[in-house]
Amino acid sequence: MTRAASGGWEAGRVSWEELVSTALVGADRRAVPPESLLERAAEQVVRMRAGRRPGRGRPPAPAAAETLPLVPGAAADRLARMLAGEQGRLLTEWLETAAARRVRVPAEMIPGLLDLGARDRSIRACLGAVAGARGRWLAGLNSAWAYLLAEPAQVPPDEVWELGTSGDRRAFLTVLRRRDPAAARELLERGWSAETPEERAVFVTILADGLGMADEPFLEAVLDDRRREVRQAAADLLTRLPRSRLALRMTARARRFVTRNGSGLRAEPPPACDGAMERDGVRARPPAGMETRGWWLQQVVAHTPLSFWPGHLGMPPDEIAGARIGDWEREVRMGWTRAAILQRDATWARALFEAEPLTDLLAVLPPEERSHRAAELVAGHPVDGQMVMMLGGVPRPWGHRLARAVLKKIVETTRTQPWNAGELIRLAGERFHPAMHEHAGEVPELAATLRFRFDMLKELA
Amino acid sequence: MSERVATVRRVEERWGGAATRNTGDAEAGRGRAGAEGGDRAAARRTQAEQRESRVGAGLSELERWLADQIGQGIAQARQTGPADWDDLARRLVDAQAPGVAGAVTRLSRVLGAEDWPGLLLGEYALLHLLAVAYRRAAALPEPLRQTVRARVGFSVTRESVLATPAVPDHWDVVGCRDEEQDRLVARRVWLAGRTTGRLAMVLSFAPAGQPLESFPPPGTTIDADLAFYPGASPLRALVAERRGLVDAGPPPGTKVSQVPALIAEVLAADPWTDSWPLVLDGAVPCPDGLADDEGNALPLHPSAGVPWRLLAVSGGRPVTVAAEWTPRGLLPLTAWNEDGGVVRL
Repeated sequence: MTRAASGGWEAGRVSWEELVSTALVGADRRAVPPESLLERAAEQVVRMRAGRRPGRGRPPAPAAAETLPLVPGAAADRLARMLAGEQGRLLTEWLETAAARRVRVPAEMIPGLLDLGARDRSIRACLGAVAGARGRWLAGLNSAWAYLLAEPAQVPPDEVWELGTSGDRRAFLTVLRRRDPAAARELLERGWSAETPEERAVFVTILADGLGMADEPFLEAVLDDRRREVRQAAADLLTRLPRSRLALRMTARARRFVTRNGSGLRAEPPPACDGAMERDGVRARPPAGMETRGWWLQQVVAHTPLSFWPGHLGMPPDEIAGARIGDWEREVRMGWTRAAILQRDATWARALFEAEPLTDLLAVLPPEERSHRAAELVAGHPVDGQMVMMLGGVPRPWGHRLARAVLKKIVETTRTQPWNAGELIRLAGERFHPAMHEHAGEVPELAATLRFRFDMLKELA
Repeated sequence: MSERVATVRRVEERWGGAATRNTGDAEAGRGRAGAEGGDRAAARRTQAEQRESRVGAGLSELERWLADQIGQGIAQARQTGPADWDDLARRLVDAQAPGVAGAVTRLSRVLGAEDWPGLLLGEYALLHLLAVAYRRAAALPEPLRQTVRARVGFSVTRESVLATPAVPDHWDVVGCRDEEQDRLVARRVWLAGRTTGRLAMVLSFAPAGQPLESFPPPGTTIDADLAFYPGASPLRALVAERRGLVDAGPPPGTKVSQVPALIAEVLAADPWTDSWPLVLDGAVPCPDGLADDEGNALPLHPSAGVPWRLLAVSGGRPVTVAAEWTPRGLLPLTAWNEDGGVVRL
């Protein structure tokens, strides 16, 4: 180190950067007394801390005003406790209820909720409603929360169709479809080519509400869409219209592939998946582990109107569902199951459920019957993973009959195999009508959860 | 690491923290001293003198150690620092300077930062300044001398703090933070006086898992007398008398643009200050700072991340925010929303 630089140390004219670089390599190597370096550094560090000027801030543009009222205080306090972990499994019900009541959550809880929504798609629709204008504002600042902008927030005014976010436009179309199905379809047709593939697929599914033959020409045209998801959505709707061209084409295929064989049935899968089949929504590539032709067969059956089969096979649905098929039996049954769900056919769902109690079929049955059938299953089976999964498919609130059967099963199981009752108790806590808390005294954990929900819903009322 | 920190903690507790928890009655103490006569007092004086010389020796060693480090260069500190600091902290505990030992223990916090050499040099320089100040304590003005002794780790008894004139005011509780380290929880409660404009921090300790002394939560206002620990920039205080809660609404605050002058004043009195409470009025939260309506912004501490809850409360509009100033930026504590509701951050 030079003499001139050493002179600088004493005079206090050294820059902070030079102090740091000297300290890094060692004051000895630059012939600087360490003590004087420390003293200069002490002066400078205090001066820098004390003299730090404010920088330039870039405040975000202010959020829009809220249109919904704030949730009541007691409900907000409970939500805060739930976000902190108390009865966290009930959060979805809290959100659904608040969304239905058209109230919004306190601003400070929105970030925590949006983090949850980033991981759990199932609550996003509710968040779109309860997070209010502040939630949408935050979603615009954090890309991890941008999903919120695709959720409908509220019933929007008319210009939303031209200018709104995708969520607002979906909400608008949904409402219009309910009020005037033809107007909704015509609005969609006018700007169809300008929509993104993601929007096109969602818009098609919105037409499920009030679906009729008047929609058939439009949906048939959509089968020529470039994007598979869009074609698929249109094909799923067209199978619900037995007189649609797609239904007739599928019927013609199905006629060849599934036939009567004495007292049973015989199935023969399609030899190939041609362009016409693909256009009708049949996917050529099977999911992993599935035989390719069986996959095609399943999809053809799934997209054939169920009303075709009794006449074609000369049997009522309950006999068809129980009939022996031999080869490809599994694929054909899966096809019918899928068809019963897509076409929301309770008769077929009932018949197929008799043959094999698949949870997905319960959803097609009227609530009373669904509860009834699930109750029968519960009464006759030990608690196992399959039962819990079946019950998991029955939405809340469970009917009286099912709730009583499950409560009985829980009490029995707690006595004999307590280790097996936990998951069922938790599920019952979520699905029973909360007023049941008064009758669940034998199972304290269940009673506590139901009581929690009872209070929770009262606060949100 | 944890063993050494535990030692520091134990000693801090014995020499520093214990005084805050000692609820012994001052009158009783004086009565005992009178009855026991001069022998005890003389013994205590000898003990105190012994401690002064031990601390003096420990800090002289610290001065030499720092000079050695700077002389040889700190480039290797990321590798060798933590072990060296462990040793040094242990020796400072033995030298009965627990405050300095704690500061040495906390040095490893700077190593995570990108600009660690500058941060470490700053910390070394302030430790050097403290050791020198202790050596020259006799020449310092009394308040600064008290600050130096407190930073070194000499405790002040609760009785002597309570014996000083207390400051009556309506005190807004503006922030509260619990920090657990080595099975000991330290609770800091920050207060701001409505009429005096004074700021205060009440510190309490409890073993982890045991309840801390309860204190009204942020957002409340108490009518109380606070007695301050001595020092050049007094902040730590005891509640001498608490009369009750006052319904007062959000606290008044300072403007963002006034903060630099305020901090400069605090640091001019006590250059070792590394935490100071602020109540900001009309502050607009940004992703990396708190701005005023002219765009002046105070940066947040890197560990604060994006203050999403604070942003959510503000919605891009000015709010009242309490925050802890630190040399590396602000740590938000509490916000008051547009309806006057209180949100702990």
